[in-house]
Amino acid sequence: MQQLAEALTSPFVILSAIVFLPLLGALTVAVAPRLTEEETKIFSLWITILVLILVLWLAIPGAVDGRLGSLPWDQGRVQYGFSVGWIEAFGVYYFLGLDGINFPLVLLTALLGPLAMLASFGIDRQVRAYCALFLLLHAGMLGVFISLDLFLFYVFWEVVLLPMYFLIGVWGGPRKEYAAIKFFLFTLAGSVLMLVAILLLYFYSDLRLLNEVSLRACQIDPAVLSGKRGQAVHTFNMLALAELARLPQSPFDQDFWGLPVSVWIFWLLMIGFLIKLPAVPLHTWLPDAHVEAPTPISMLLAGVLLKMGGYGILRLCYTICPDAAYQFAWPICAVALVSMVYGALAAMAQSDFKRLVAYSSVSHMGYVLLGLAAWTIVPGDPSSRHYWTMGMSGAVYQMIAHGITSAGMFFLVGVVYDRVHHRDLSQFGGLFNRMPFYSAVSLIIFFAAMGLPGLCGFIGEFFVVVASWRFYPGVAMVAASVVILTAGYILWTVARVFFGPQYRGPHPEALTDMTVREKWVAIPLAVTAVILGIYPKLLLGYFQPSVTRTVYHLATWADRHLETSTTATGPQAKPLGETKFVPSQISSAASLSQTSPGLAHPSLPHGGPARPDGSKNSSTETDGASAPSPLAEGSTVTGQRPEGVLDQAIVRPGADQPKGTGLVEGRR
Amino acid sequence: MLSIPILLTIAWLLPLGSFLAILFWAPRLGKHGSAAGLLATVAIAASFVCALAAASLWFTKYPIPSAESHHPPYGASGSQPHSQDTRLADPSARESASAPGLWTQGKAASKTQGPSQLILWNAPSDRSGSTERSSRPDQASRVSPRHELANSPTREPLGPVPLLTGDWYVLAEFGHLRLTLGYYIDTLTILMVLMVTLVATLIHIYSLGYMHEELHPEVSDQEILAGDPPQPIRRPGRFARFFQYLSLFCFSMLGLVLANNLFMIFIFWELVGICSYLLIGFYLERPQAVRAASKAFIVNRVGDFGMLVGLAAWWGAAGTFHFADSPRSLGLFSRVAQAELDHNRTGQVVSPGIREQPSGQVVNNPDYPERPVAYGLLVLGGLGVFCGCVGKSAQFPLHVWLPDAMEGPTPVSALIHAATMVAAGVYLVGRFYPAFPPEVLLVVAVVGLASLLLAGMMALAATEIKRVLAFSTISQLGLMMFALGVGGWTAGLFHLLTHAFFKALLFLGAGSVIHCVGTGDMGQMGGLVRKIPWTAGTMLVGCLAIAGAGIPPWVGLSGFHSKDAVLAQAYLLMNYIPGIGHLLFSLALIGAAMTAFYMFRLWYLVFWGRPRSLDQLHHAHESPPVMVVPLVVLSVFAIIAGWRLPGLGWGIAPALEQARPISFISGQWWPWWVVPPEAESHQDSIHVVVSWLAFTAAAVGFVLATLFYGTGLFRLPSGVGVLNGLVLLLQRRFFIDELYQRLFVAPALHLASWAALIDRKIIDNLAEKLAAAVVAVANSGDLLDRKVVDGSLVGLGQGIYGLGRQLRQVQTGLLRQYLLAVVVGTIVIFVLVQFL
Repeated sequence: MQQLAEALTSPFVILSAIVFLPLLGALTVAVAPRLTEEETKIFSLWITILVLILVLWLAIPGAVDGRLGSLPWDQGRVQYGFSVGWIEAFGVYYFLGLDGINFPLVLLTALLGPLAMLASFGIDRQVRAYCALFLLLHAGMLGVFISLDLFLFYVFWEVVLLPMYFLIGVWGGPRKEYAAIKFFLFTLAGSVLMLVAILLLYFYSDLRLLNEVSLRACQIDPAVLSGKRGQAVHTFNMLALAELARLPQSPFDQDFWGLPVSVWIFWLLMIGFLIKLPAVPLHTWLPDAHVEAPTPISMLLAGVLLKMGGYGILRLCYTICPDAAYQFAWPICAVALVSMVYGALAAMAQSDFKRLVAYSSVSHMGYVLLGLAAWTIVPGDPSSRHYWTMGMSGAVYQMIAHGITSAGMFFLVGVVYDRVHHRDLSQFGGLFNRMPFYSAVSLIIFFAAMGLPGLCGFIGEFFVVVASWRFYPGVAMVAASVVILTAGYILWTVARVFFGPQYRGPHPEALTDMTVREKWVAIPLAVTAVILGIYPKLLLGYFQPSVTRTVYHLATWADRHLETSTTATGPQAKPLGETKFVPSQISSAASLSQTSPGLAHPSLPHGGPARPDGSKNSSTETDGASAPSPLAEGSTVTGQRPEGVLDQAIVRPGADQPKGTGLVEGRR
Repeated sequence: MLSIPILLTIAWLLPLGSFLAILFWAPRLGKHGSAAGLLATVAIAASFVCALAAASLWFTKYPIPSAESHHPPYGASGSQPHSQDTRLADPSARESASAPGLWTQGKAASKTQGPSQLILWNAPSDRSGSTERSSRPDQASRVSPRHELANSPTREPLGPVPLLTGDWYVLAEFGHLRLTLGYYIDTLTILMVLMVTLVATLIHIYSLGYMHEELHPEVSDQEILAGDPPQPIRRPGRFARFFQYLSLFCFSMLGLVLANNLFMIFIFWELVGICSYLLIGFYLERPQAVRAASKAFIVNRVGDFGMLVGLAAWWGAAGTFHFADSPRSLGLFSRVAQAELDHNRTGQVVSPGIREQPSGQVVNNPDYPERPVAYGLLVLGGLGVFCGCVGKSAQFPLHVWLPDAMEGPTPVSALIHAATMVAAGVYLVGRFYPAFPPEVLLVVAVVGLASLLLAGMMALAATEIKRVLAFSTISQLGLMMFALGVGGWTAGLFHLLTHAFFKALLFLGAGSVIHCVGTGDMGQMGGLVRKIPWTAGTMLVGCLAIAGAGIPPWVGLSGFHSKDAVLAQAYLLMNYIPGIGHLLFSLALIGAAMTAFYMFRLWYLVFWGRPRSLDQLHHAHESPPVMVVPLVVLSVFAIIAGWRLPGLGWGIAPALEQARPISFISGQWWPWWVVPPEAESHQDSIHVVVSWLAFTAAAVGFVLATLFYGTGLFRLPSGVGVLNGLVLLLQRRFFIDELYQRLFVAPALHLASWAALIDRKIIDNLAEKLAAAVVAVANSGDLLDRKVVDGSLVGLGQGIYGLGRQLRQVQTGLLRQYLLAVVVGTIVIFVLVQFL
């Protein structure tokens, strides 16, 4: 019985269920002949709710390992995942996993799924096809975030593309064909570039460079290396690729048409993701797609699809190509600033309510890019990385917050559009008295988008702006100036829609307040916006360790590769030379049983300032490692800095030891 | 145990509770939400009681210095800093305080134990320094002027500043970077909380009467005509919503006052801004109200942009937003002092993580791996924070929003746009004072003076009663800023507190007038004194208070004392910087004279003389008691707020002395600019002269107003071109609004439409061209397919067919030939295989 329960709660079952439940639902909807339209919608809704329940179950502290009071996410690495062979001849694995970076996005997707489905109840044409495509889209989005194998990631990426094309093209507004084709072409161009980058990554990767411990950490069976002494062993494993990029002699430093291959990879991926994000000037698909898409699809498009870009940048560009990220921090920041300012200005000029919201997305996603790109690390100054941690956390936070607010705004626009069938801002007014509940919720959502403190939009914006000062003060100033423009277009919109003497457009009689179903969509969004605004730690708790860890890796990379610029400041800046880093482990239940039950011991106090436990661990490892220079950085940090978010992220030394004893053996 | 922080926390949260209760249960709160008003009023009154309890606890613990000296610094009577121990409440803080010093750091309880208490004792770093006071600016600039203040012979060595601070909870934490919400309680906080809750309570009570009309299920707004034929708009009453917003405002304002770090200040800064937005736009059917609300918020956002830059600068430089030290790291004030120290010890760089305590021992502080703060960043950070204050306090050049904000209901104007929120800018300058370098203080002084004069002039010509008061508010806030800028910390904040009472009184009086006659246009008033005597009387008290009436140099209304203190500081500046000091002082005097003139102009126009509109007068009637009582209470405070309790010498000013910041920065850039120590301005020689001068100035203004408006002996000649032009210039507010419209708003809108155009015409065009090109390529590919590839295939087929036909001739049926062919073929294949 217990075994059955364990089997049912294994990562394989849970994660596969999260991805494939919607897929199964889509199949069922497509082939089951008996369901009426209403039943189809309700069935689809239940599927999405089931997914939400599964994801929420993962979010509860201690739900996975049965220990209460311990978030499984406080380790910063992939905590919960598995990998089984798929097309093993080409190194393709069915590798799903969750860490702090993708989990909030999965949570967001799972939350928006049922809400968008609920908002879809107004769809009355070809309902069954709509629901099938919707669920397929849902599965694709979840798959993009959960999969840790690049090939799988790409497959899901394309899976998202197709249903979206049809959902816009069939159920969209008057110019739906144009919008759908535009969306399709832009995104396809991006994914083709991505494909090239993925192939480059694949063919330049070589698993033989990694030792056994690293391989296991990436959920790769070291046996794949056996019998292939002669040739390189390529991989699609995202974690392994990141490991390879962190090696002192990274295989991605090789030359390719005059530039390091990592630069090519960085830009190919980056352009693909910038299209998705979207960043100016690759953004024009977005307003058209949003305006023409039906309301629930706009919600998902803005709420989730744009985040795939941000996620990809964070997960792939920055972890795999740190040198390019460092080299091109300025251009990327410039793109971010242009997006922020340009998007806000363009939003101000719109007279179409939905277009305005669409442009505000461009502006808001600029914050995400800026937070990710503003490289504040100064080698030798251990405090500098905290600013990037802050900026990057702000970026992730902004992704979630924007997911909530933009989905909310598109929904709210849809609500009035359903009633009066126009979106012309100059023809609204006076809705405050006609639709009081609607107006109240709208004010919350719009103010959240404006970045009002106490609502979710503020946290991310503030973090990003304030942290970017350390990158360059002028960047922070430009970013800060956007708050004026944002207030401008939001308040102007509020004034034109909700205030004023009376409604000026057609169908004034149709302006009734929200229905119960609409309230069920709007209230969760508004409540989430408030909760995330006043208690950011709720979300930060999930992703901050992972972000800290990412920044830590970038910082160690910087310490190693930018040492020429660090002449001063003490022992921290010493080149780390031959010390090789062993990545931390994946401590999914599966790998846990194989390696060490104590590895991911989650009973460490969560996020507390002092973590004697953690620092003790690190020091014992340092002692245990017989390597000549056991990670000067790590030991300094643990010695000097008792407050320990970083301590978890410290990479274990001693990788070069022949036995491959890392932490695992040491702790036994 | 109800400690001071807990009491104040309760006082802070009560309005939030009221806000939430009204938000969720408004329909159930009595008929048309009538109970909502009561609920909000009770909540804020309870807040006031909590604040009162906290204040009494505070002043028992840290009594205001006794009265025998005119202006004793706190702790001077005890004289020795060792007596600190007896005053320390928290035993855990005692041990750390036993080593008094600039950065003495209290040990707070660990954060798991709820709100931690930390008492920080600030003391000057160098007690044995030179006692020679120089009045020569050039010498003074070499030593810090405020160094000098600490050691000047006119004062005993400064005692410690009593302070309670701690964190409520942590919002986010990145390494040593922490964003928290917490409290910072010193005498200034206590006084501000008292003032805010008291004024808010009175205004809540007043609003119960003033907003009575909103209780009707349907209200018709006479100002908006719509439909055909035009009729007043009918809308639902919004009584509950009004009090809901007021409660939210009170919560935000108290949070702003209690904040212990810049981040928290910024949060509540924005929140009071949005409350102000909602309340200015309360009559949301009126387009001008909505426009004014948006304008207020956006202009404030311009200030907040500067503040955000300042915050980012501080964050980047110091890595903390906290004012005071915490067990984990130094606070901003200490960082600034540290920067000061680093500059004084030129060449001695304090390495990261190590800081030196005044006693000489070097402390390794791993939590604090920061670089020293550069002086330029100090100035930039200070300017940024001040920029936010300029926006919030409606100082020139961001003053444009406040006059328009008078579109909101009058109690809102009184509470938010006169007494509390707009004072937040001044409060923040006072709170953040130790971190302002002298260069920034000069900017503060200049901006304040400009606002004082410009707004004063605009008030001279305004015809709407609330607008006059709005300009007067800008002007008085300018006076406070000016005081702070020239070193009058106590004077500026003293004036802030007294001003809150008499300006709230004046606004409520104006509201009462509007309530009675139904219009705010002073051209339709006159002679109301007999109709509404209570309002007229209390407003007269307000006018006297703001003008600074009194019997020099002894006693007067509250404004007399506080304005005296400000002007005394300006007078002192004359001693320090002769030329500029004289200019500034005389301009401030002119400002004082203008204040008296326009206030009495207002009073005469409204209450005196012959009624100009009999119709209005006919309907006029005194307001209900629920509105008059707050007026009377406020006028009592307007009279006595500046006094000292006889015998004990307690009063607002001496209490403020207790909280005066002692850390200091010496100027680096402009050696001629010296901020004079405030203690000297209390000298009797200065005091007597200044109070007479100020009195004279006010009297001049009063007499002129009486001559022109009170008696009718003189009249402004009409038809004189210059004069008309001047009046127009003042009435149009120097065309600053139009200028901003041209300079900023229109270009921004142009840019916006360009952006939209670029999207449509260029980027989209490019994308479509690209797509068209691809299609063209595809088409040509298609052509290629059909003509070349297909053609060749067809040709190939034909060729093969032809070949077959020819080959058919080879099929002779002769076995020999076949065999030959097979053999030859085999050989050829063999050869090919062999050699290739």
